[in-house]
Amino acid sequence: MEVDSIEPQPQEKIEQIESADLVVAILADLDSESIATVCRDLQTLEGSPRLAVLQNEKRASATPAGAETAGKSAFPFLISWPLLRPDPAGTPALSMFAAYQSVFAAGEKFGARACCVVASKLENAPPRWICQMAKPMLEKEIDLVLPRYAPLKFGGLMNSSIISPVTRSLYGKRIHNAMGPDLGVSQRLYRKMLGAERNSRLNGIHALASLTSAALCANSQVYEVHLGARVYPPTDWANISSLMAQILSPFFLDMERNAVCWQRMRGSVPLPTIGDPLPAPQDTGTLEISRMVEMFQLGNRDLQEIWAFVLPPATLFELRKLSRAPVEKFYMPDELWARIVYDFALAHRLHMITRDHLLKSMTPLYLAWVASYALELEKEKGSGIDQRLERLSAAYESCKSYLVSRWRWPDRFNP
Amino acid sequence: MWEQVKQALVQSTLRFLTRFASMLPGLVALILAVLVSILIALIFAFVIQRLLIRMRFGERLVEWGFSSPGESTTKGAALVVSRVIACLVILVGFFIGITAFDAEWTSQLARSALGYVPNILAAGLVFLVGVIIARYLGRSVLIGAVNMNLQYARLLSMGVKWLVVVLSLAMALEHLKIAPRVVELAFGILFGGIVLALALAVGLGSKELVTKSLGGEAKKPPSEMIEDPLRHL
Repeated sequence: MEVDSIEPQPQEKIEQIESADLVVAILADLDSESIATVCRDLQTLEGSPRLAVLQNEKRASATPAGAETAGKSAFPFLISWPLLRPDPAGTPALSMFAAYQSVFAAGEKFGARACCVVASKLENAPPRWICQMAKPMLEKEIDLVLPRYAPLKFGGLMNSSIISPVTRSLYGKRIHNAMGPDLGVSQRLYRKMLGAERNSRLNGIHALASLTSAALCANSQVYEVHLGARVYPPTDWANISSLMAQILSPFFLDMERNAVCWQRMRGSVPLPTIGDPLPAPQDTGTLEISRMVEMFQLGNRDLQEIWAFVLPPATLFELRKLSRAPVEKFYMPDELWARIVYDFALAHRLHMITRDHLLKSMTPLYLAWVASYALELEKEKGSGIDQRLERLSAAYESCKSYLVSRWRWPDRFNP
Repeated sequence: MWEQVKQALVQSTLRFLTRFASMLPGLVALILAVLVSILIALIFAFVIQRLLIRMRFGERLVEWGFSSPGESTTKGAALVVSRVIACLVILVGFFIGITAFDAEWTSQLARSALGYVPNILAAGLVFLVGVIIARYLGRSVLIGAVNMNLQYARLLSMGVKWLVVVLSLAMALEHLKIAPRVVELAFGILFGGIVLALALAVGLGSKELVTKSLGGEAKKPPSEMIEDPLRHL
C-alpha cells in the first residue's frame, strides 16, 4: 500500500461526507501501512456500513502530500480531524480525555450508530480485531465494547491496581480495562456522554473516565473483546505523581457522582466476551524495587501530616510497620491497599486538602503496592498474573463494606 | 498674703472641679460606649462562632493550606476568629467613647488612630495571604520533593515556607510603617540568612544525606541502558 493512497480528505471532502454508520478514530501513532490495514479490515464488515475513519489532523499534515490524492484515494472515508491537540500544559491524560470528546462530537456530526477508538499499538493482535469491536455494536445494539488485553505482569499497573478492581467492586462487573483506551461506543451511550458533558461543564465529566460507569449504572450491555498485549508507553518517572492526579481525579469524581448507584451493588459477575484469550509476551528488563521501597519509606517519614488526615490510625500503624521491613520481605497486603484507595477516594470527596496535593501524596503508597506486587510476581509466569489480580479484586470487594460505611458516616465511622 | 494664697487655692480647686464636671458626661459616655460595645462584641462573637463551626471553618483552613491537618480544630479556629472580631468591636466602641469628650486632643487621637486602621488591615491581609501561600507552597514542595525521592524534602519545604513567611512579614511591617529602614535591613539579613542556611544545610550540614541522595542517582544507570519493565498507564 502506497502512502499516497491513504491521504486524508481535505476540508471540502469532509463536508461531502454527510453521514456514516460507523466512526473509527485512530489516536494511536500508527504508520501508513497499519492505517491502511485498519481501513481494509473495516471494508469487510458485513452489511457494508458507511464508514468515517478519523486520523489526527497534525499527523495528517505531517504525511507527505500527494497530488490530487484525496479524490483518488483508495479509502474515500479517511478524514483528518482535530483529535489530539498539542499539550503545552503537560497534561497528557487530560488531552487524551479531550480526544474522546472530539471523537464523540464527530460521531454526532455524522449521525453514526457507533464510534470505535484505536488508541494503542498491539502485539499479537488477532486479525481484524477492530471489526470484532465494531460488529457487536452494529449488529446486536451493544452499548460498550471494552478491550481485554493479554495480561502483562508489569503493564498498565495503575489500571490493574486501582481503576479496574475499584470499578469491579463498585459496579459488580468484572471489567479488566474500564478506561479502554481502545473501545467501541454506541450512539446511545456517546450521546449521553456528550449531553452530560454539556450540562455539567464545571462538574468534571470526562468522556473516557465516566464512560464505563455511565453504561453500568444505566444497565447497558457491555462486552469485552480479547485483544493481544498492549504496547504501553514507557514510564515517565519524573511526572508519575502528576499522571496519577490526572487519572484519579476524574475517576474519584465519577465515583462521587454515582454513589447512589454503586452503594446498592454487591458481589460481581463476569462480562460476556468476544474472541479467545491470547498469549502475552514475557516482560523483559530489570526491576528497581529497592528504589520504590525507598520512595515509600521517605513518604512515610515526611508525608505523615497529610496521610494522618486521610488514613485511620490502624492503617498508619500498618504503614509504619511496613516501612521498617527489609526490601526482600516487603509485602503490602491487598486489604490494606484497598482500604488506602477507598480512604483517598473519600478524602477526595470531602475536600480534606487540596485535591492535587491529596492525589500526589498517594504516589509513595502506590509505589509501595507496586514494589510488593513486583516482588511477588518477579518469577511468576502465565496464569499467575490473572490469579494474583483476581486476589486483589476480591480484596477490594471484601473491603467494600468499609468504603460504604465511611462514605455514609465519614465523621462517625472510625475503624 | 495668706488670704491671697487661700483665694488662689479655692479658685484652682473650683477650676479643677468645673473642668472635671465638664468632662464627666464624656467619661460616662466613654464607659457606656465601652459597655455597649462589649455587649455587641459578645453577641457578634457568639453568632460568628456558630456560623464558622457550621461552615466547618477549621477543615476549610486545612483545605486552603492555612493550617496543617490535626493542627487546628473547627472549634479552635472559629474561637480565634470570633475573639479577634470581638476585640475589634470593643476597640471601635472605645474610640467612639473617646470622641465624646469633645476635646481637641481626643479627637486628634481618635482621628489618627482611625487613620491607622487601614494600614493595620492591609498589613494583616498581606500577612494572612502570605501565610496561606507559604503553607501551600511548602506542602507542594514537600510532596514534589518526596515524589522525586529527595532525602532533604522536609528541609526544602520548610525553607520555602519560611522564605515566603518572612517576605510577607516584611511587607506587612512596611504597611505598618514601623521602622521601615530597620525592617528593610532585617528582612535582607533574614532572607539572605535563610537562603545561606539552606545552601549550607544542603551542601555541608546534610553532606551525608546529599551524598546518599545524589550518589543514589549517580549509581542509577541511565534509563536507556537498563530497560524498566514497569508500565503504569
